[in-house]
Amino acid sequence: MSVTAFSLPKFCRNTWLITRFELFRLFGSPRGWFALAAFAVIWFLILRYPIFEASAALQQADTQAMLSRVFGMIGMYKLMAWPLPELIVYWLISLVLLPLAVVITSADQTSSDRSRGTLRFLTLRTSRDSIFFGRFLGQWLVQGLLIIISLVATLGMAAWRQHSLSLAALEAALIMGLNLFIVLAPFTALMALCSVLVRSSKLAVCLAIVGGGVLIGLISWAGWYFPDVLRLLQYMPGAQVPALLSNQGWSTFKEVTLPLVQTVVLLAVGRIALQGKSL
Amino acid sequence: MSTIIQAQQLSKSFGRHQVLHSLNFSIEAGEPIALIGPNGAGKTTLFSILCGFLKQDHGNIEIFGQKPGSEGLSGRVSALPQDAMLDPNFSIGTQLTFYGQLQGMNKATAVAETRRVLALVDLADYISQKATVLSHGMRKRVAIAQALLGQPELVLLDEPTAGLDPVNALQVRQIIANLTSEATFMISSHNIFELERLCGTVLYLEHGKLVQQRSVQQGAIGYLSLQLENADAALVLNVLRQLPGVNSVENAQKNEFAIHYDRELAPDLDISLIGVLRAQGWQYRSLTQGRTLEQQLFAVANG
Repeated sequence: MSVTAFSLPKFCRNTWLITRFELFRLFGSPRGWFALAAFAVIWFLILRYPIFEASAALQQADTQAMLSRVFGMIGMYKLMAWPLPELIVYWLISLVLLPLAVVITSADQTSSDRSRGTLRFLTLRTSRDSIFFGRFLGQWLVQGLLIIISLVATLGMAAWRQHSLSLAALEAALIMGLNLFIVLAPFTALMALCSVLVRSSKLAVCLAIVGGGVLIGLISWAGWYFPDVLRLLQYMPGAQVPALLSNQGWSTFKEVTLPLVQTVVLLAVGRIALQGKSL
Repeated sequence: MSTIIQAQQLSKSFGRHQVLHSLNFSIEAGEPIALIGPNGAGKTTLFSILCGFLKQDHGNIEIFGQKPGSEGLSGRVSALPQDAMLDPNFSIGTQLTFYGQLQGMNKATAVAETRRVLALVDLADYISQKATVLSHGMRKRVAIAQALLGQPELVLLDEPTAGLDPVNALQVRQIIANLTSEATFMISSHNIFELERLCGTVLYLEHGKLVQQRSVQQGAIGYLSLQLENADAALVLNVLRQLPGVNSVENAQKNEFAIHYDRELAPDLDISLIGVLRAQGWQYRSLTQGRTLEQQLFAVANG
């Protein structure tokens, strides 16, 4: 009778080794350095122009009052309550741009390794679960580190402008960082799944965008006939982002359940898909 | 000797095309095993199932009593998968060290082990190079090196010398020959002559069916293989068939003759044969005991 040995310590050890190798891929390889340089340039442009210019405008009392009315009309009346104008603009930009960036940057979790055959070398030494979850964790941690770097740069810019930083600003940055980390989790898990289903990162991006678009279209179409179906839109990745913008401070964490559940579901589906794949 | 691979009613299809048909076989630890068959026979599919890359549709297969791909086989079973390539973004040393760590080694041991296996394939100087700068033959040798990391008990090599020049192919054969006392090798190849030199047991697949499983030595008793310089085949056949104790003579290829004889009636046939060659003035290239693996396989397959 055959035995399928599973060892939790070995699974954890190998998952962590693979996670660490993903971090090494970013910080220890020329390709990773190139990606970091591109990240730095993009964030320099974002900080220098939208954030710097907008935060300068936000310091005007009349502008603040006008924007509070505008954001209030679309339910984001608490947006202006964040302590630093730089953080307000950072929060708005990050919540919209980072999920899109994650769809592109974390699209190649397993696809090219599978088409190249490198995954075969790995599966001879560790389980498919270790590879799948290790790659996901690695990508997620990379995003966490990049969020920290961009937040520190934003705070640095604010400190340079006003020569000091309040404790409230630091607390707000912590809240934003944690929230963004959670917001990105389902998108990273979605790309882990797409990466399993196709054999290249480009196809994974196409699958995520086209698949998401088709799904939204189908739900909207079905909503004409069965209005209750439209509720499904509330469960799409990123559906909680408008609610996040309507909250401020620690109350934003009321919205963490949905992305965490989405992440678990997407990872479970991706894990099943990889188990059934031929390598 | 212990059974390391046990397959029962193993079948695999791709769509409507059945690639493996109810294979039953068992493999003992020890001498290298050859997996032979023409293109499309199902060799790579069988290897992929053994490595856990593919799942069979029906039947059961166990390696060391475990399902292929089980974590418990990590470090015990290694393989050279056909056409698999290393990640082009990292040096071969970095990747082999990482593989060693996944097998359970600590960093220092994995580094030392990487140096050892690269030295085995004569690529120690390339530890810092990426796979993209290596030639096809070198990449193949690196892929063989990764299969030797640690102390695997079973090494599965799918076409290890395919695409290699004769010098590199010889080197790979020497590496395998030197390591046969440390691990059981299972090698698939189209090159029967290569496998004949290395292997003790042969699995012959054809159209996804196991046509034969036999010992290479099994077909050697009572046969002589003679290779002559230019000779009149009809005359040679006529002369050799008249020798006492000879049952049959076949001229399978130009200037090559397989002589089946009765060992009790003609225990010294090889000596008599040399006398005949001298008397007839025929120059010979080789006279060997037994039949070639090719003759053994195809005599049974055709007969």
